[in-house]
Amino acid sequence: MADVETLGILEEVQVLVSVKLQVVSYKWLSRNFSVSSNDAKRLLQEFVEKHGSGLEVIYTLSGYLKDSPQIYHISLVSGLKLAEVKQKFGDSCSVQVYSVQVCIPNDPAALWNAEFVQAEELFDQPSTVENCLRDNRFCGVSNSFVKRNASGEPGSVSPQPSKTGLGVTASSKTAGALPAGVVPQPQKGRVQQPSPKLGLQASTVVSTDDKTAKNAPVVHAELGKPHTNKATTVPADKKKVQNEKTSSGAGGSLANLWGRASSKSKPTCPSAETATVVTSPIVTADAQISACEALDAVSSDDDGQYSRKRESNGEISRKRRVVFDFSDDEDDNENVVSLASPDPPKGQPVLNSTHETKNLAVEEKKLNFEEKKGEKLDIKKQKTTESDSRARLKVDSEAASKNINTKISSSEKIQSHVLEGLEDQHKKNQASDAAHTSPKRKKVLRTRIDERGREVTEVVWEGDAAENNNTERNAAANGVENRPSASNKGPALGSTAPSNTAGKAGIKKMAKGAGKDSKQGNILSFFKKV
Amino acid sequence: MLELRLVQGSLLKKVLESVKDLVTDANFDCSATGFSLQAMDSSHVALVALLLRSEGFEHYRCDRNLSMGMNLNNMSKMLKCAGNDDIITIKADDGSDTVTFMFESPTQDKIADFEMKLMDIDSEHLGIPEAEYHAIVRMPSAEFARICKDLSSIGDTVVISVTKEGVKFSTRGDIGTANIVCRQNTSVDKPEESTIIEMNEPVSLTFALRYMNSFTKATPLANSVTISLSSELPVVVEYKIAEMGYIRFYLAPKIEDDEEGMQAEAQPPPEKKAKKEPKAEAEAKSEPDD
Repeated sequence: MADVETLGILEEVQVLVSVKLQVVSYKWLSRNFSVSSNDAKRLLQEFVEKHGSGLEVIYTLSGYLKDSPQIYHISLVSGLKLAEVKQKFGDSCSVQVYSVQVCIPNDPAALWNAEFVQAEELFDQPSTVENCLRDNRFCGVSNSFVKRNASGEPGSVSPQPSKTGLGVTASSKTAGALPAGVVPQPQKGRVQQPSPKLGLQASTVVSTDDKTAKNAPVVHAELGKPHTNKATTVPADKKKVQNEKTSSGAGGSLANLWGRASSKSKPTCPSAETATVVTSPIVTADAQISACEALDAVSSDDDGQYSRKRESNGEISRKRRVVFDFSDDEDDNENVVSLASPDPPKGQPVLNSTHETKNLAVEEKKLNFEEKKGEKLDIKKQKTTESDSRARLKVDSEAASKNINTKISSSEKIQSHVLEGLEDQHKKNQASDAAHTSPKRKKVLRTRIDERGREVTEVVWEGDAAENNNTERNAAANGVENRPSASNKGPALGSTAPSNTAGKAGIKKMAKGAGKDSKQGNILSFFKKV
Repeated sequence: MLELRLVQGSLLKKVLESVKDLVTDANFDCSATGFSLQAMDSSHVALVALLLRSEGFEHYRCDRNLSMGMNLNNMSKMLKCAGNDDIITIKADDGSDTVTFMFESPTQDKIADFEMKLMDIDSEHLGIPEAEYHAIVRMPSAEFARICKDLSSIGDTVVISVTKEGVKFSTRGDIGTANIVCRQNTSVDKPEESTIIEMNEPVSLTFALRYMNSFTKATPLANSVTISLSSELPVVVEYKIAEMGYIRFYLAPKIEDDEEGMQAEAQPPPEKKAKKEPKAEAEAKSEPDD
């Protein structure tokens, strides 16, 4: 790379970091300046050497841990802890600059906010435009389905926002047929490619599938093939689909918001077993929700037969709980019954290999997926509560996909110190999400964090009769309990707060005095009595 | 014996209108200096200090210091019975548990007497130290009221920042964000329409708009409002009352843990982020080496 150019980029990075206070990660750099990711890392390294003082650096440490040499670890570590964490790694660990920023953000998500926004923008470009994400130009992982040269046929990526994994699968198949690309296997040869990564990517696909929730069988087949090397572009692409789903859900975002807001009166306490009553506002969101719903109902029609049986089962067994626990230590788990899964992931030992992870993901995905469908059917049946459930469905699926993500990552033991914080936040978020997504319905998906910090998702079917009494009591009791806990959470979680506060004015007003994160000062602390 | 005769009776009416939403019961203190009130709102977040100096009354007789506990809503009800041009006289006897409001129409052809029961109110008097404020903004009161009203439709809190450039009111809410900047503007013909910013240090504080909005109920009392800010003190929102006194509202700032407070208010952005995170995270992990 020409020195002049390098200097130019470094200067710009300097400006970005110190003036715009942006987090500049190598990925962002790579995409923004169209340099390869390795070059971007080198640039950042150079930048740190030159201007590093006064800046915070986050490093990527990757290698095998001393105490668990069979698992490939990737950690994001701040400069301060670098030496410390390095100790934990074996002899050969690679240290690369992940990002530079003025200060370590409180919220780890801020680390990849910039690059996520960037990725979104890139994907939002019309499908005919080639960009570095579309043609997988800078990714260290190549993909046989995606041709790297920009001149290649862009057909391999079909970023139509509207559903149908069918379309995606089909197109990727045709792309796969293209002789161009890279041979599918060679990635295996790359020493630096950690196997968990592949699993991860696959899991990403899976989880996003969940979102699109249509193409299940086909894509599963794809995923099931152990040799399928999904490169990042595909998941990323799907991710886009997912994005658009959520953003097209902007119509329903109000519903989400309200659904979330109702968490106020919902139990976040794990022991609560009954569904709780959702507060009124959802009703007003009816119009929008049912609009979304119509859409979904249509698309879920083809799955109807499949899930009906299951659903009716659900009706009979009044209460069921499913516990997804992917971690290796489950002995201290709650006294919950694990069922409903053909081969409960519980039994899985430590997951090292890609395939296991992948399969696991698939299994779980199926599980969630089916449940979801069951729910959809429910919706159709119970016209009265359908809007509620619709709102919840959205969140549920989010929760579900999230569940997979976090599980996978934890099973892979990617112990990013930075990431952990985020995940925690996430899980808690999810927990609160899921908590308030339980309106008067038959089935409830509840996600919570147990005392070991793992996410536990329970699916509870409720009997019709007992429900109302219980719920009302619960709601009343929890209404009281919940408020302080919400405010407790406050300082720790920036992002939970919004979901709490986002909502109808009534709740907001109530929470205002006590439950807000920024504390209202007291006049008495300023003026003394005389 | 207490007898206060206020020719511009509407002032008292306006004062009550501006205070009664914030404070329900309060002690009015009468002394040789004037007729005053100090009270906190029920949540002890805001404090009202009212002073009507004795010189402002046409006739002011206060034999000894007297504290009269009144329910402001009831007092307001009675004062509403007075016409805007009426002369209001406040009368109380020593040791009596009532106060009498007498309304005289300007033409003296109608005289009304309203006697109101007093209350025993345990009130805590706070010593408010004289302080140097980092920034003092004077601006048209209607403008300030408008800003508070507008912002409160978007967010719950307002961040008031004073810099060299001007004073900025900003908020964030479900639907988005709002920033209103008022620059110094002394060139207006009418002094009451000017915006004057005296700043020693830049200052930025967060306040609950709910209170700000209730302060602006005092807007009819004065054309301009003075907002005094200091980083470690409550904001003072002061409305001058004619030539005879002032009503000051003190509001404790919201204490933020860095950006925590902002995030709490900023609902949609973190919300969006929260949604992004799973994907962003997945992305970050799935291609750590790309």
